[in-house]
Amino acid sequence: MTERTDVAAVRRWVRRTRSAHRERGETLGNFYFAVLFVVIVGGMLHRQLAAVFWPGAPNVSELAAYSLAAALAGGLYLALRRLGPLALSRPAASWLLTAPVSRRRLLLPSLGLAVTAAAAAGALGAFAIVGHVAARPVPAEVFASLPAGGALLGGALMLTALGAQGERRWSSWSDDAAYLLLAAGLAGLVADSALAAPRAPAGWPAAWVVAPAAGALAVVVLAFFLLAVRGLAGTPNDRILEASRTAGTFADSAFGVEPSFVTEMVERRYWARRRLRSLRLPERLPVLVAQDLLMVRRRPRRLLWLAGGAALPSLLAHAPGWVLAVALLAGGMVAAGVTTASVRTDAGNPWMLRMLGLSSRTAILHRLLVPGVLAALWYTAALILLDVLGDLPPGPWWALGVALGPVGAVAAVRKARTGFVDNSLLPLDTPMGSIATGPLLAAFAGVDVLILGLPTIVQLAQGGPLSWTGVIVQAAVAGFGARAYLSGTTAADRVELSAH
Amino acid sequence: MDHSAIEVRGLSVSYGSTPVLVDVDLTVPIGAGVCITGENGIGKSTLLRCITSLQRPDGGEVEVFGGPPGSTPEFWRAVATTVEPPTWYPGLTAREHAELVCRAHGLGPQDAGIDEALGRFGLTSHADAIPPSLSSGQKQRLTLALTLLRPSRLLILDEPEQRLDPEGRASVAAMLAAYLEDGGTVLIASHDEVFAAAAGTSVVGMADLHTP
Repeated sequence: MTERTDVAAVRRWVRRTRSAHRERGETLGNFYFAVLFVVIVGGMLHRQLAAVFWPGAPNVSELAAYSLAAALAGGLYLALRRLGPLALSRPAASWLLTAPVSRRRLLLPSLGLAVTAAAAAGALGAFAIVGHVAARPVPAEVFASLPAGGALLGGALMLTALGAQGERRWSSWSDDAAYLLLAAGLAGLVADSALAAPRAPAGWPAAWVVAPAAGALAVVVLAFFLLAVRGLAGTPNDRILEASRTAGTFADSAFGVEPSFVTEMVERRYWARRRLRSLRLPERLPVLVAQDLLMVRRRPRRLLWLAGGAALPSLLAHAPGWVLAVALLAGGMVAAGVTTASVRTDAGNPWMLRMLGLSSRTAILHRLLVPGVLAALWYTAALILLDVLGDLPPGPWWALGVALGPVGAVAAVRKARTGFVDNSLLPLDTPMGSIATGPLLAAFAGVDVLILGLPTIVQLAQGGPLSWTGVIVQAAVAGFGARAYLSGTTAADRVELSAH
Repeated sequence: MDHSAIEVRGLSVSYGSTPVLVDVDLTVPIGAGVCITGENGIGKSTLLRCITSLQRPDGGEVEVFGGPPGSTPEFWRAVATTVEPPTWYPGLTAREHAELVCRAHGLGPQDAGIDEALGRFGLTSHADAIPPSLSSGQKQRLTLALTLLRPSRLLILDEPEQRLDPEGRASVAAMLAAYLEDGGTVLIASHDEVFAAAAGTSVVGMADLHTP
């Protein structure tokens, strides 16, 4: 049997060899740059950061505090599960995972990093909740113990996610629970905005609740941590490799400023896990519409989220009208995006379009139909809800939702057609430094088309009652815009989606 | 009609300073089957890519059914090819891809014989799989099944025997022979002259296509 090697010694050797290839002072330069970046960004955004984490006065209710806690906990758990949470760097996964080294010692630094990151996220979340909810002045013991409790909760969530990483059945059950927690939190926030729930009383949260809860949580976290360290070596290889690939894809995506790497990975993993049964495509419908309907049928959970998400614009009911309008328009684009993965495929490589023998005009026209219906339904639901909650002046808002359908569809399809970021474009020189234009253009592709919803933005910004004329103007702008998009970017005598 | 299915005259392609195709001529009459052979790197795939308009030559002329090859829907309804690597729609099974292709060409799944075709290619038990989860050989079979299922007048296939087991090769060769018997035209590039003969195609060496 091969003798085990000291993993710390191997890592030290790797670090020493790598640093030998670096220029002198490079590490110091990187450190200096990182500190400078934090100071400059902190200086630029300190007002916004204060508004997010510690506004001058409490501005939401006690109900919102619990809802926010539930949503943040659910969201943090899901993020941790998506990231692993236990991952190794790609070189370590390739070379050290298969080497005769102690797996526990190999994975311990990753565990430490993950626990620290989750605890930091939890502490920040708890700090923001106190900042938004607790009446001033906040008692010192609450100020100290609640973020500590948040950090402990973050650690507990991370260690739970670690347990789920090694156990497939537990992972699907806990993911469902986290989704429910997130949904319940968001529902609570919507209810809070609709009901104008009472503010937290002075002295909230009571120190006699927070301190024992934090203590109990500390015991749980310690027990979980010891169990995690004990079972660390038993984490299945495939799960660690998958998490390392995820981390690597995120790194590639960030380094190459190419978000499509992550989109593609998420899409591929989602379908690889599903067990499908071939269905007949609905006859009588154009074939691409039939395909899109099949995709809608196969994504019931996403539809459920979209249905719930229709309530989210009401969270912005008290924000300026144009903010609500832009968020509303963007929401419809997300709803329309349920079926646009096929457009992304065709934009990347038109092999299937050539097999189908359809013109780009026919293909895009048919690919716009289902997204158009989804967007129209979402806009209608969101506007009806805002109307029912009394956040909108009188008017036929449902009709405006229907009229907005093509806007969401065109935006989603345009976004899907963007393809890879063009990093060959010249950067823009500004007084703040140079800005890469390729990622900027890619980020705004699709969002730019939401300008077709300008009549709605103006309507909501002015805050007057909605007339039928307003609806007709929006319908005409959306209809003409969609038609112009179709005739301007496709051709009846070209199969490929992009003209080269 | 007096024109050929494929007419290539004086085709030249270089990669940097390396000429790959120099004054290549090729005529494939309608209803004929031609297999181009030659060692790796001699330009077989480049020639097929130029004929299918997927690559622009440096010089020369290409005509397919009397007209320039292009990206029109009419061209791609007449020509089916495996020159490009395939892509697959997310969330669609192998059988659904086949049905999608047939329905786009106005064929019902029954009329097109999708289940029989998948069976002939040994894909019946993988009909519900998503193509990215298939092995490379199975993907190759699926690509060929889709190419042969849909109606076309000209098949342009790059090494169709690649990654197929002996049984699969015989089966594909028989299907290509049947396609030729039905009046279709076939142009393939291959290293396997036995496969080419079984498919009913006449073998032409790539070196012989260069104008002396």
